[in-house]
Amino acid sequence: MTPSLKKGVAYALACSAIAGIGLAATNPYHLQVMTFIGINSLLALGLNLLMGYAGQISLGHAAFYGIGAYTTAILTATYGLSPWLSLPMAVAAAALVAFLVGMPTLKLSGYYLGMGTLGFGMIAFIVFREWDGVTGGASGFVGIPPLAVGPLNLSSGRNYFYLVWGVLLVAILVCRRIIDSRTGRALRAIHDSENAARAVGVGTMHLKLQVFVFSAAVAALAGFLYAHYVSFISPGTFDFLMSVRMVTMVVIGGMASIWGAILGASLLTLLPEWLHAFSDLEMVVYGLIMMGVMIVMPQGLTRGILDLYERARERHER
Amino acid sequence: MEAFVQYLFSGLTNGAIYAVIAIGFSMLYSATELINFAHGEFVMLGALGLVTLWGGLHLPLPAAFALTVAGAALVGFLFERTAIRTVKKPHPIVLVIITVGASIFLRGGAMMIWGKDAHSVPPFSGHPPIDVAGAKLLPQSIWILVIAVVLAVGLFYFYRRTLTGKAMQATAINKWGAWLSGIPSERMVLLAFVMSTGLGATAGVIIAPITMCSYDMGTMLGLKGFCAAMLGGIGSLWGALAGGFTLGIVEALAVGYVSSAAKDAVAFILLLLILYIKPSGLFGTADASRF
Amino acid sequence: MKDKPALLKLASVSKAFGGVQALDDISFEFDAGLIMGLIGPNGAGKTTLFNVITGAYVPDSGAVSLDGIPIQGRRIQDIVHLGISRTFQNVELFESMSVIENIMVGRHVRTRSGFWSAITRVPAIRREEKALRERAQELLDFVGLADQADRRSGDLPFGWQRLLEIARALASDPKLLLLDEPAAGLNAVETGRLGELIGNIRDLGVTVMLVEHDMALTMSVCDQIIVLDQGCMLAEGLPREIQSNAAVMAAYLGNG
Repeated sequence: MTPSLKKGVAYALACSAIAGIGLAATNPYHLQVMTFIGINSLLALGLNLLMGYAGQISLGHAAFYGIGAYTTAILTATYGLSPWLSLPMAVAAAALVAFLVGMPTLKLSGYYLGMGTLGFGMIAFIVFREWDGVTGGASGFVGIPPLAVGPLNLSSGRNYFYLVWGVLLVAILVCRRIIDSRTGRALRAIHDSENAARAVGVGTMHLKLQVFVFSAAVAALAGFLYAHYVSFISPGTFDFLMSVRMVTMVVIGGMASIWGAILGASLLTLLPEWLHAFSDLEMVVYGLIMMGVMIVMPQGLTRGILDLYERARERHER
Repeated sequence: MEAFVQYLFSGLTNGAIYAVIAIGFSMLYSATELINFAHGEFVMLGALGLVTLWGGLHLPLPAAFALTVAGAALVGFLFERTAIRTVKKPHPIVLVIITVGASIFLRGGAMMIWGKDAHSVPPFSGHPPIDVAGAKLLPQSIWILVIAVVLAVGLFYFYRRTLTGKAMQATAINKWGAWLSGIPSERMVLLAFVMSTGLGATAGVIIAPITMCSYDMGTMLGLKGFCAAMLGGIGSLWGALAGGFTLGIVEALAVGYVSSAAKDAVAFILLLLILYIKPSGLFGTADASRF
Repeated sequence: MKDKPALLKLASVSKAFGGVQALDDISFEFDAGLIMGLIGPNGAGKTTLFNVITGAYVPDSGAVSLDGIPIQGRRIQDIVHLGISRTFQNVELFESMSVIENIMVGRHVRTRSGFWSAITRVPAIRREEKALRERAQELLDFVGLADQADRRSGDLPFGWQRLLEIARALASDPKLLLLDEPAAGLNAVETGRLGELIGNIRDLGVTVMLVEHDMALTMSVCDQIIVLDQGCMLAEGLPREIQSNAAVMAAYLGNG
């Protein structure tokens, strides 16, 4: 099988699996968790393009998630705009902010880039929290309308599940295409050696800015889907910890791998659900798992599990 | 004028706290090039430790102070041994996630021990506030300022005069070179961890009487201390001190003259400004793009 | 006399770092179709000169022009587009990418596809991608790595990595190719083949300028040689003139 055929098969399998899950799942709670996995996967996917492929860390990406959510909340609930009109505006708002913030910030590298994005993320969070009149302040924003297409109400569990995962599958396709294109190759080149990339004529700054804006737009799209799903948003959802959670999804799944991003997003969404059983121990266990995975498998689970499998096979063959 | 002096006092007090936290950050960064996102949780451990040992068990204050700091430093020791030393490929992003994991772990642990409610302790000494130019200066503020300055001066002499301090600086400048000249660099890293977390706890102890102490108090304090360290130039002792006071004063003035909503934003706006204008910090000389 | 400007012309180029004068009033020019050698003791300013020509450094004063077009102070990507490309002293490949992808990135400035066209995959882009892959394969054939196309480039043996880096530099269709110590780390057989390859590159119509410490290689392949010492031009001439130049001998033997 050629690599592209393999990818096609994997994609088709994923599509049918999702269709199957959607039909089989009857428990509304399961559908809800699956929907959140889809939204988080979208977040991880966009950030993975920036971190895994272009090698630029962002510790403030929750800001774009929040900008997407708050823009659509304000436009639809406060100003009565149709969600389908607010969608492009929410995405454009995040992209514009990413462009303005990215220009000075992406000149930094390494820890300093991490710090710059962290600072931006915190400022965005504080704006969500303190701008009472517009965002509802610390107590949150209520009454975001559900989505509907003509007579079809999308707010029901199964329909929203299909919507989110449909969007995610399209996003995967788009990311795949970007990665396999001239732009994607140049991005990966920046990751491997920014110096050499510049020397072959890649406009590194321009490209980094493009992918930063793109990943912000994807995060805003996820924010839009989140806001109209839960109908209530509060600043706490878009705080520093969320930014870190997004980074963790990418890293735990395995950087520079699309399926890894989805695996990481699934794990980090499911983990708190499983850990509810521990009640007070929840945070302790969560922290321990984060540390443990990184200590044992710093390359991420995808790579780590593949390594384990290969080692087991070698031992078997010997 | 009165108001201004009052803001200044509040700024100096908070600034001293930020400075102590920033020194901890800076010290660890210069020894290990690691940013410890769990640093704020050690501040929290310091404050809650004092709540239990002094407020709860009624140990004498100096003993409670020392035990709390020692306890937090022990946690720092265990943290380095179990979670940092054991990483096979210490890529910065991996270390960031590990320290964030540690911060969640510590916060969760604190929540189990101390619960979700906030606690408080009385000031170190029961004197009434002192009147200066119409503004009130709390005795606890004096405690905080004095302790911060004593710590900074003490550390300065530690780096300058003691063999261990010099060895630690040598390790910070060139790990390999230090190792070649017989300095046990692993032990230096461990020592930096212990001292850094101990400093964090000290900040927690001295701030405890003037704040609400709860399991989730550390995150914002940690991030602000981190901003202060960047502001002054990470890796520099005096930079951390100056960065802390600058941040505290600007923040207090912003709260006073702009809006209390601006309080938390000040630190991060300053952080962005310094990163855009002079990433090596106000007093730093280090190369900005160093990873 | 000449109606065609020189391929590369440097006029009074100087560059200092702090107090160190890395390049001091360097002037030379040469025409297309040659293999130029650039030699000099360590610290003579050879790599700095390369960095000035490729646009990585902006000279403090003086002018650099390619085919009569001034290039000093331009962005690197524009200079690559005008026709200068380079390799690095310590081989800088995109190690996680496949061999053929490395070359495809090397052709960045000769291709157009952007973010949106990548997502929509319009026919023009598919055609470009196909042509790009074919061109990359041709270059692999040219340097003798035809059957390595899909290997991870970081896994290649060092000698092949050098060849790949040269192929990547050729991918941008340069007029002038700068090779920074291409023989460093190669064994005698590999160095011999490298000499042949450099000749073949010239036969393609690409002018080559190389910094090299391997004197046997330099003397055998170069048409002209420029000697730098402590940032200054020491000599310029045919290989045998350089070999018998007293000042050059002195600089190399250290009794100057």
